[in-house]
Amino acid sequence: MMRARWIWLSLLTLGALSAGLSLGATPISIGALWAGLKDPAADAAPIIRELRLPRVLLGFLVGGGLAVSGAVLQALVRNPLADPFVLGISGGATLGAVVAISAGLSSPWAVPFAAFVGALVTLLLVYRLSLVAGRRLDSNVLLLAGVVASSFTMALVTAILMLVDATRLQNSFRWMLGGLWSASWTTVLMFALYAIVPLGVLLSQARSLDLLALGEEPARHLGADPERVKRLAYLATGFLTAVAVATSGAIGFVGLLVPHAVRRLWGPLHAPLLPAVFLAGGGFLVLADALARSIAPPVELPVGVVTALVGVPLFAILLRRRLA
Amino acid sequence: MVDDAGDTTRLAQPASRVVSLSPATTELIFAVGAGDRLVGRTRWCDYPDAARTVPDVGDGLPPNVESVLAQHPDLVLLYRSPQNVDAAERFRAAGSAVLQLDFNHLSDVSRLARLLGPLVGRAGEGDSLAAALEQELARIQLPPEGHRPTVLILAWDQPPMAIGAGSFQSEILALAGGRNVFEDIAAPSATVSIEAIAARDPALILVSDTGTPGFARRPEWNVVTAVRERRFLHVNTPAFGRPSPRAPALVLELRGLLNRSGQ
Amino acid sequence: MIIRGAGLVLRYPGVAAPALAGVSVALDKGELVAVVGPNGSGKTTLLRALLGSQHLEAGAVEVEGRPLEQWRPRELARVVGVVTQREEILFSLTVRETVELGRYAHLGPLAGPRDTDHTAVAQALQRADVFGLAERRTDTLSGGEWQRVRVARALAQNPRALLLDEPTVALDIRHEMEVFELVRKLAGQGIGTLLVTHHLNLAARYADRMLLLNRGSVVAEGTPAEVLRSEVVSAVFEWRVAVTSWCDGAPQIVPLKPGE
Repeated sequence: MMRARWIWLSLLTLGALSAGLSLGATPISIGALWAGLKDPAADAAPIIRELRLPRVLLGFLVGGGLAVSGAVLQALVRNPLADPFVLGISGGATLGAVVAISAGLSSPWAVPFAAFVGALVTLLLVYRLSLVAGRRLDSNVLLLAGVVASSFTMALVTAILMLVDATRLQNSFRWMLGGLWSASWTTVLMFALYAIVPLGVLLSQARSLDLLALGEEPARHLGADPERVKRLAYLATGFLTAVAVATSGAIGFVGLLVPHAVRRLWGPLHAPLLPAVFLAGGGFLVLADALARSIAPPVELPVGVVTALVGVPLFAILLRRRLA
Repeated sequence: MVDDAGDTTRLAQPASRVVSLSPATTELIFAVGAGDRLVGRTRWCDYPDAARTVPDVGDGLPPNVESVLAQHPDLVLLYRSPQNVDAAERFRAAGSAVLQLDFNHLSDVSRLARLLGPLVGRAGEGDSLAAALEQELARIQLPPEGHRPTVLILAWDQPPMAIGAGSFQSEILALAGGRNVFEDIAAPSATVSIEAIAARDPALILVSDTGTPGFARRPEWNVVTAVRERRFLHVNTPAFGRPSPRAPALVLELRGLLNRSGQ
Repeated sequence: MIIRGAGLVLRYPGVAAPALAGVSVALDKGELVAVVGPNGSGKTTLLRALLGSQHLEAGAVEVEGRPLEQWRPRELARVVGVVTQREEILFSLTVRETVELGRYAHLGPLAGPRDTDHTAVAQALQRADVFGLAERRTDTLSGGEWQRVRVARALAQNPRALLLDEPTVALDIRHEMEVFELVRKLAGQGIGTLLVTHHLNLAARYADRMLLLNRGSVVAEGTPAEVLRSEVVSAVFEWRVAVTSWCDGAPQIVPLKPGE
């Protein structure tokens, strides 16, 4: 019984990955897909190997990372409505990106780098703001500080956008909607390297997170060190989210809906939950991106729109089955 | 007369205090010789040079209603957009004649020259401008047969945004002898995936910066042959951004670039 | 002596009067100590002070002879189990999963549960009489059942001392008696239990020692007979009471109606 659900999840994820590889602006048959993967000289090979495959992998990693961040944050702030962006990190990233876009910097890495810096600065500021009496990280203050940071950064973004010309305005908006256009083997590798430490930290804290979800007092009585767990959890999810947003903008719904849905099926214990959430989130984003690329080719829809359009009905179905 | 929003306006006599709220109409007003009647322009109106002496009333989309009305215009020219509907109402309520204009295509230049000429007491100039433009464009028409290199007009790279058939730039490209690689996109612009670009394999990529664009250094863009081989066309004349009487010169300039590219 | 608190003074920020004004308490193995007193007398605060949940203005707490500050949370959880008055449920687990969380202090971060852990969990479920509820989800439990599950969770820690804050609040007679029987049995097995309760009469029949608190100070300490005397209880609780005794010799408090 327990094994079955993992098999199902793995199959669904693999299905999503295959869909991601075969759907796109130019549909490629499974046969051509195999040929392209194996033989570098095949027709569609450069597109498959240098564009689609990295894109599917990046989507998987980003989706998985955002979903895990969401799941952990929900335990950290003891609120099932939390998502990775509730702590203001996406606001900081957007501000960084918009500044870079408005300044018209020529380096192609300027925007992601500025977004990353913006995200990290916001992460640390919110952390500092949430330290009550200089030591204790208060979860409620954290939420509040995150909301404040989001509002502040978005106000700055709006102000900047009012001053720039129409082209930069449109470019900024389009960036903000997010997407996996920056996918290449370099991007995938960089993301994987950046993400592996926070993911590892979060996985190692799985049991402590179970305790933290009970409340700080019960957690302490059972032997956890709530301050340490909160610190690690916040910094790890913050860093992971920062890398994700810098790479692909603020893609919504993955960090909120996927943890919810998976928790309903897997239960809230984090040791089995976090890997399942990673797989589900990764598969979900890959699928959403595949749809975004293939609904109205050659136009590409913003992937955040697709995650909402696909995610919300799926979630509604899940809710009804649970209640029934 | 009826403007492009379907609203009717009447002017008893040619307007003497005109506020132009888009760079294209500002340029056109000057082109028909009525620049002296302009009492307000947007801060983006930078052509011709004489336009800079006209008072700046802020943005055009949406406009700053107070600063426009402070100039006591009798005619306000707006770019047609849902964002400007409110402002149009308020200008009308203040007693000014208001025109909301679609100014997106090459054909709009002659159409609007004919429309606006009489409104600013330059009916003759308006007509002759329109006629001259049409003649010039007909003269520089290329024969339908002949090689037309495929070109990607790239507006932005994060995410990749391509200019589609619905835009003025695509029209200029077509006249110049190129084929928009995304001519099947009806909209003026749309986000596309690098994959779509790679699959369509344009011969040239038209960008607005000088020098090799930044995105050419990114690995994912180098799957596109034209990027890998640095086959870029650089067009950064502001005239490329909006329909204007300068179009024929622009077509010739672009044609020259295409020919020199060897594609 | 498992837990000893000496001269504990604790003040809540912004409140002039101290919540604890120099309280000393000791818990030895095998004994059942009941802490009683009116609302606001400092019973729960005392518990929090003993666990280090609240900062002390003065006084010191020692667990098994070592100062509390020197204990790491994981170490302490292997010695002391705690059941607080109330616990909100954020994500619902099964009862078994809940009790398994009690083994946290005995497990490494990445290690899975071993046989000893499974046994400890099974025993804890039995002792707290929630074995039959093992596969039920915690959000379907009644208040009393949830309380007993939390007792089971604390027992899964294999503690040498148990601190319970008003554990019988939501329970019916049967389950109230079962909790007191349970802690009495645990005391017999060597686990020292400190029980904060408002149930004077049951405390009188089960506890070895009682502490009567009022306004942050210990008013009386000793056996139930020594502590529960009508003048003292009437004064502290600001209501006239009479004291009778039950056939086992334990004093029983009977609050008097205004005319009696």
